[in-house]
Order: sequence, then C-alpha cells, then structure tokens
Amino acid sequence: MSEAKEAIRAENLVKNFGRITALNGASMHVARGETLGILGDNGAGKSTLLKILTGFHQPDSGQVFVDGRPVRLASVDEARALGIECVYQDLALVNGLSVYHNLFLNRELLWGWPVRFLDHRTMRRRAIEALAEVGIVVPSVDIEVGALSGGQRQAIAVARAVSSQARILLLDEPLAAMGAREAQLIIRLIERLKARGDIAIVMIAHNYAQTLEICDRVMLVQHGEVTFESTAAATSPAELLEIVRREYRALRAG
Amino acid sequence: MAEGAAGTTLTSRAFGLLLRPEASVVVVSVALVLYFQFANAYFVSTANVQTLSQFVAAPVIIACGEIMLLICREIDLSVGQVFALAPFLMENINDVGVPEPLAIVAALAVCALIGLMIGLITIGLRVPSFITTLGMLFLITGLTLTISRGYPANTAGGPVLTGIMGAWAYSEIVWALAIVAVMHVLLRHTRWGLHTVAIGGNLLAAAEAGIAINRIKIGNFVLTSTLGGLTGLLEAFRVGSIDPLAGGSNIMFLGVASGVIGGTAIAGGAGTIIGGLVGGIMLGILQDGFTLQGINAFTFDIVIGAAILIAMIANIHLARLRGGGPQ
Repeated sequence: MSEAKEAIRAENLVKNFGRITALNGASMHVARGETLGILGDNGAGKSTLLKILTGFHQPDSGQVFVDGRPVRLASVDEARALGIECVYQDLALVNGLSVYHNLFLNRELLWGWPVRFLDHRTMRRRAIEALAEVGIVVPSVDIEVGALSGGQRQAIAVARAVSSQARILLLDEPLAAMGAREAQLIIRLIERLKARGDIAIVMIAHNYAQTLEICDRVMLVQHGEVTFESTAAATSPAELLEIVRREYRALRAG
Repeated sequence: MAEGAAGTTLTSRAFGLLLRPEASVVVVSVALVLYFQFANAYFVSTANVQTLSQFVAAPVIIACGEIMLLICREIDLSVGQVFALAPFLMENINDVGVPEPLAIVAALAVCALIGLMIGLITIGLRVPSFITTLGMLFLITGLTLTISRGYPANTAGGPVLTGIMGAWAYSEIVWALAIVAVMHVLLRHTRWGLHTVAIGGNLLAAAEAGIAINRIKIGNFVLTSTLGGLTGLLEAFRVGSIDPLAGGSNIMFLGVASGVIGGTAIAGGAGTIIGGLVGGIMLGILQDGFTLQGINAFTFDIVIGAAILIAMIANIHLARLRGGGPQ
C-alpha cells in the first residue's frame, strides 16, 4: 500500500481526554493529488483526528508518517514545517485588514535598513498573482476581508495556505454554512488544487452528497473508529446514510 | 469610455475618503473654525493659534499611545499619572547630581519600566488592562504625592534645553507632530503596526499565524507610558513648574477621546494615528472656541461628552456604509 506518492498516513491513533475516548485506533492515508473526505457526526472523533494531523493534539498511541517517514508532530509549528497547513472555518482571517495583508500575515515582505518597512507594493503584486494562480476572483486585493462573502474569505484562507507552500492541506468543514453558489466557489478551488497534483487534501465535512462530489475517497468516523472507507465512485449518499442509520439503531437497541 | 471609468474611480475614491472617520472630523473642525472666527475675530490670531497648539499637543501625544493599545484591545488608564510622575522623577534624579539631559532620559526609562510592569501584570497574570491600570492609577498618584510631599517644584535646566523641551511657544506642537509622523509610519508601514491591528481584529487568527501577541501588547504598554512621561515633561517645561496634580485622568480621557473621535474602535482592530491628531485638534478648537466666547468649563464638559457620543454614532454607521469594519 506504500505508494511513492503517499503524502501523509496515520496508523492506529488513540486519543483519550480523561475518561472519554475520542479516537480508538483510527487510521488514514492520503496521496498527493488526492482528496480524502472525513465524514461523521459531531463528537465522532474527526476533529480530534484532524487536530492530531495539525500537531495541535498529540496521540496517546499510534504513529503519523509524512512522505513515508515516521514523524512526531509535537506542535502546530512542527507540522507546518513539514508542509501541513490547516484552514479553519472563519478563524483564519483578520476582517479589518486588506486581502493582501491577510495573505501575507506574519510572512510580510519588508524593505529598508536599519528600520524594516512593509513592502506594500510587492505584497500587492504577489497577492494578485497568487490569487490568479488558484483562480480566485476578488474585487480588489486592497479591500478589507470583512467586506467579502463567506465563500471568498474561505477561498482566500485556502490560497494563503497554498501560497505558504502547504503540501498537505487540511480543511475543517470548508463548505459549512455556505450557500450553493458560495460552495461552488470552494469546490472549483479544490478541484484546481487537485489538478496541480502536488497537494494532498483532507477535508472534514457533514454533507454526504457534496463530499462525494469533491473527494476521491471518503471515510466514515464513528465513536472514534473508522467504520467505513471507500472510493467516492464506489459508494453513494444513500449507502453512507444507511451505515449511519444502522449504527444509530444498534446504539438505541444496546 | 476609459475616461469615464477613471472618473468613476476618482469619484468613488473621493467618496470613500469622505466616509473615513477622520474626514468627517476634519469637516466638522473646519466648520467650527469658521463659526468661532465669525463669532470672535480673535479666534484665528497668532496668540490664539499658539494657545490652541499648546492645548492640542498633550492630548495628541497621549492619544498616539492609547490608539495603539485600543487597536490591540487594551487600554491604559494610568497614563495621566505617569505624566505627573515623570517631571518629579527628573527633578529628583537631577538633584542627586545627574545632568538634566540624562535625568530626562532616566525619567523616561522609569516611565518605560512602569509600562513594562503594566504589560507583564496584564499579560503574565492575565489581569484585564482596565484593572491593572486602574490599580496603577492610584498607586502612581500616591507615589507622586509621596515624592513631592504634595508641593509643586520648579524645572531646572538651561534655556536651550527648556526651550527644546517645551518652553518655546511652539516646541510642544512640534514634538506632537513629529511623534504623530513616527507613530503613523509605525502603525501603517511596519510589521509592529500591522500585527497590532491583526491582534485586535482577530486574536485567534493572529495566534494561528504565529504573531508574537504578548510581545506586541507589552511593547504598546511600554510605548504608551513612555509617551505619557514625555508629555508630562513637555508640559512641566512649558509651564516652568511641576505640579503633582497635573495631567491625571483628565489628560488620559482627552487622549482616549481624541482617538475615539478620530475613528479608533474601542472594540479593537481599527484606528489611525491621523484620526487621533484630528480628533485632538477638534477637541482643542471646541474648548478654545468656547473659552473665547466666555462659556465656562462646565459647559465644555457637556460639549465634549456630546462630541464623543456623536462621533461614535457617526463612526459606527460610517463603518457600515463602507461595508467593512468590525461587524
């Protein structure tokens, strides 16, 4: 199973918070150019899985591999150094700052000596280029992010992760609370990134139909375990729903 | 066609500029100048402009620090007390034989240390800065009264030094404008300023991006206290005597009011130094104009209160018109 293109793999992750077991031996893998969708109810453990991959949580046991090498993701910074970037729903941007300042937040380009000034001009130009590269359209890069729609903001957050050399992109509910047109914006963006072939994408989602449309492969996480895994082509929203229903009935019977 | 498009951009740009909070304050200020000049021909005279510049300078310098703190969602209530303490520090250091210029530097260093202490307590011990600086307000008042034994003192130093430090009629406004220029560049054209805005705008995003939040907040406390101390020194040299009850909460609120009238958001994430300058000038024009008209200080407080309220209401709704800003 160890393909040359494999970007990230996690094996038998276990994570307990006090007496609560959030993850109970979950495994996953995703290759470059591939998009993996992680589905599951609230509290099923998918966020914990994502947060282990970002270095935010450390697993009690289990192992993460990046490019086939075992790694210890002790912090968000360490994960980032390995090219792992996570885009959180509506957390990533500063509404009062312009699009280009957001794209370069804490990676600002500077000029001058001994005092270093912001190189507004170069940052603007590079921001326009970076957005064009992933096909994001905004009225202007000078506009405050707060004036943009939710979909545009999410797109800019993704563009920032990509322009910071992310090779493993984690998306936390990228389509949540978004209208159909807005969602289409993000879906097209993900498709373009997929077409580049050098980025592995893992996304957490709720909507089965949308997830199957975007992702190459889906995983169902329930009570801390991966209960179902399939290529998107080989399954359907109805099948996923049936699995979840069966689980729910079993839970009520037990 | 192209001409028409350029015309539209220009109009929309001009419109955008007019919607900026600073712009409305400038418009109001010009209207006030015209009104006061009409009411009293003495208003635009050398002597009165001098008086006005002296009244405006101190709140504007204080505002520069408070604006940085307000933008990153902090406040310093004790800056007016540092204002009163600084000249006594200078005098006491001078009295033990340290030359006056060095005594000034040393006094400012102590003010910076006070700012550092405020920052460390606020950040390190997680006390809201409102509370930290409320405590410091009383603490420093007591310290100043103890050091001075409650008596005023005279400033020392040669004519050149005292001239530069505030005794020359226009030195204080020159200081204020120079500080405004430096602070404007700091806020708009350096990482420090950008990160200050980012912290106030979205703390989580700033942390996510790896911005050194604590360092920037503490730095802004140090900056504010130091500017407060400098303002106190300038005022002491201008008046020629040191008053243990100078400055105080009054100068602090004037500074905060200047910033807020000029568009600084109390909720953080937005504000400009130029706004603080025009806000301070507007308050100065109001007080000076009403003084010339013989309206007393009690009425002035009513006017300043109303001005703050109107400015805040206007700013909130202008922000919505611009379609951006904190929601």
